[in-house]
Amino acid sequence: MSVNAWIVVGDQPTVGNLVTVARTLGGQVAAVVAGPRPVAETVAAGGVDRVVWCRAPDDVPAEASASAVADVVAADPPRVVLAGRNPGERVLLGAVAARLRAAVLTGARSVSLDGSDVTVVNAVFGDIADETVSVSGPVALLLDGGAVPAATGSGVPIEEVAVTPLGMKVVETRMAGFDEVDLHAAHRVIGVGRGLKAREDLAMIGELAHAINAEIACSRPVAEGLNWMGKDRYIGSSGARISPQLYFAVGISGQLQHMVGVTGAETIVAINSDPNAAVFGQTDYGLVGDLYQLVPAITAALK
Amino acid sequence: MDFELTDEQQLIREAGREFAETEIAPIAAELIPKLSDLNLMGMPYPEKAGGAGADYVSYVIAIEEISRACASTGIIVSAHTSLATWPVYKFGTEAQHDRYLADMASGRRLGAFALTEPAAGTDAGAGTATAVRSGGEYVLNGTKMFITNAPYAEVYIVFAKTDPAQGTRGMSAFIVEKDTPGFSVGEAEHKLGIRGSSTPPIYFADCHIPADALLGGEGDGFRVAMQTLDGGRIGVSAQALGIAQAALDASVAYAKERVQFGKPIATLQAIQWMIADMATQVDAARLLVYRAASCVDNGRPYSTEGAMAKLFASETATRVADRAIQIHGGYGYTESYPVERNYRDAKITELYEGTSEAQRMVISRSYLR
Amino acid sequence: MRIVIAYKWTCDPEEATVRPDGTVDWSRAKPGISTYDPVATELARRLAEEAGAELIGVTVGAKGVGAPLASKAALGRGLDRVVIVEDDSLAEAGRSELAAVLAGVIRHIGEVDLVITGDSSVDVAAKMVPTVLAGELGWPAVAEVTAVTGQAGKLRVERAIPGGVQVLEITGPAVLAASADAAVPRVPGMKELLAAAKKPVELLDLAALTVPAPGAVMTVTSRSRPDRKARKGQLLDTADPAAAAAELVAALRGAGVL
Repeated sequence: MSVNAWIVVGDQPTVGNLVTVARTLGGQVAAVVAGPRPVAETVAAGGVDRVVWCRAPDDVPAEASASAVADVVAADPPRVVLAGRNPGERVLLGAVAARLRAAVLTGARSVSLDGSDVTVVNAVFGDIADETVSVSGPVALLLDGGAVPAATGSGVPIEEVAVTPLGMKVVETRMAGFDEVDLHAAHRVIGVGRGLKAREDLAMIGELAHAINAEIACSRPVAEGLNWMGKDRYIGSSGARISPQLYFAVGISGQLQHMVGVTGAETIVAINSDPNAAVFGQTDYGLVGDLYQLVPAITAALK
Repeated sequence: MDFELTDEQQLIREAGREFAETEIAPIAAELIPKLSDLNLMGMPYPEKAGGAGADYVSYVIAIEEISRACASTGIIVSAHTSLATWPVYKFGTEAQHDRYLADMASGRRLGAFALTEPAAGTDAGAGTATAVRSGGEYVLNGTKMFITNAPYAEVYIVFAKTDPAQGTRGMSAFIVEKDTPGFSVGEAEHKLGIRGSSTPPIYFADCHIPADALLGGEGDGFRVAMQTLDGGRIGVSAQALGIAQAALDASVAYAKERVQFGKPIATLQAIQWMIADMATQVDAARLLVYRAASCVDNGRPYSTEGAMAKLFASETATRVADRAIQIHGGYGYTESYPVERNYRDAKITELYEGTSEAQRMVISRSYLR
Repeated sequence: MRIVIAYKWTCDPEEATVRPDGTVDWSRAKPGISTYDPVATELARRLAEEAGAELIGVTVGAKGVGAPLASKAALGRGLDRVVIVEDDSLAEAGRSELAAVLAGVIRHIGEVDLVITGDSSVDVAAKMVPTVLAGELGWPAVAEVTAVTGQAGKLRVERAIPGGVQVLEITGPAVLAASADAAVPRVPGMKELLAAAKKPVELLDLAALTVPAPGAVMTVTSRSRPDRKARKGQLLDTADPAAAAAELVAALRGAGVL
């Protein structure tokens, strides 16, 4: 049976959503993994019909297997190729899309297969509009990967392929000591922007976060060296897109590139000293003022 | 008649805005190295003289964009470029060019212009500072007031009387360097606005300078000063334009967001008409400012045109800033909003580099000769 | 070393409005260099300052991307020359089509050691063009790049990973997508902007490039404006921070959010 959907996996097995979407399209679902073997094992147990693992030397990154991954998929060309929104997966998906000459869509709200055409409702231009697109031929989709797929009863065997990697290797890894977070799982999130002047001020935000049991996130820090949080806390078109119950935008101007990450929030509160900030057009409750006074005041009012 | 900007002028405007948005800092003087790096401190001078070789319209657009974010930074650039560097460029000897021009046109050495005295403002000819010839030197004595860029400036264009009996015809111009014995800088002036621009008095007490510090000939000083101010006032008109535009932009944004009686105040005719008048005046000011700059570019006389631009743009700035506070209501009176600073900054543009009255003198003279 | 910076001349969706029928009105938007492309240019300039390199800007798209203003804007940021494909058939091109044309241009330029792009374009924000381009060229690709040093054939690339930074060594040419916060681009200097008009601009004919045919055809069958969640838009009086805080907490509790 030929493959209908390939899932491209890199270092992390967080592809639960991709498996779900692939399954709804019907037909055979296969996964190709360019990461450590345990990732392949998790995916093999996660509800796919076939797993190919690209075995590469230890000191090469997943990206080095991009050509090999494209070879695997091209040998069994599908209608749809899916990958999660991570830098490594984007490289792998790009190689596959080039090899298949596939159409590439990155804003899919829904995907369906009717007869010979793949139909995608695709959010475009910073999610300001939706286009329903019909594709004849292969489609490569970038989607939220989702969580690690739960283990189903029977796993599938792992087909191993030895890779001749592209000329790249890892020579150093420097960890910044940030603790990791999954913003998607948080019910309440406080986002901070450039209105926050110093890293030390995060302590004040932390007190409010503690009071309402919220995670702290941020808008893209444009200034170099403003490396106050791990990248998994960035919200925006190039970061996480979340739908918490409550989102506080503190010192955030409200640019499209950030707000697209929180339009799904149920309630948005904004605090900004600039009365003309775009954020005030997108909030439920807006407070124009000095965040250094308002944030502690809100923390106090919660007691 | 083509009123459109060239590609370069548009790109220069965008770069000026990018600089203003990313770099404008609380202490304007700290920006000078960055302004120099981008050749914003001597834009209109030829590249071989150390400048950027830009046309005057581009220069004026850069001042406008910088002033829109910070009027103090705008005047630092304008005073340096138009008041201090220009007389060296125009009247300097080859030796003076070699010694000063590349450094000033590139912004490496900051300049200042010292004409005004405690008892000589609009009546600049009444200055009492003296320069007495003594062998191979001049000895300077006197006090100058409101000197923009002192004490950061290294090169000062100083006007003093070599022949007091001759009145304005006895005035001469000199290039005086910082740290010359006998030259000291007084205490900072506390002003209503442009607080980021340092304008202390400077004092000359038996300050000996070499004879070759003379800029132009003896007795040429008043003419040097007046011609320099002809160009300087175009820079100030650009500063005023930037201030006015900032106040207008803030008012438009505020009017759309401020809700009273259940609707944004932008829906009220009173506010709409205020905005219409402000926008028209700012646009008219812009046309006058760019026209004056265009005269410089085309080698045409620009004294009257510059005076018209300065007169109109400065009065527009104060008027528009006043209306801006009115539109903002009580909030406009507080430091939380930018318009109170626009209001305080705007007023100086009606006063320095020739008061509005002095501009009217220049304009009427050209019509009633 | 020969470095290609692939840039885009386009409009910011912030300035666009969506009509009720779902079509996008770009008439009030002014095109410019895509927001994150100057970050890529900055990384390229730093590498060129260290190792010596020719900086070549490349862009492809519909008519207008090669307008003098666009080229000068790109050249004014320190590029030595630009190579452009302007063809209206690219107006509705998808990511893979654009990547294929870019690959054709890079092959035409020849002996390219490195291609740097921005993180994504300000309007489409797909983050895929650089990776598909690498696939077309058969070169290694890395995204979220924060720094690049070294020389042709031995590049040292720093890229962000969850929780830190990883350093890679890449032999041979590569495509790098700069992280949007990798650097604050330097403001173009006045001399650079004025010199831009004198730098070479090469316009290539799309028909003259070898670009393989797409393997899939995309047709937009309908458009709509997504239902934006209606927001209350309530502005609280903040004259007294404590009172404002109390009012907010009461409102959030009343709404069942807290």
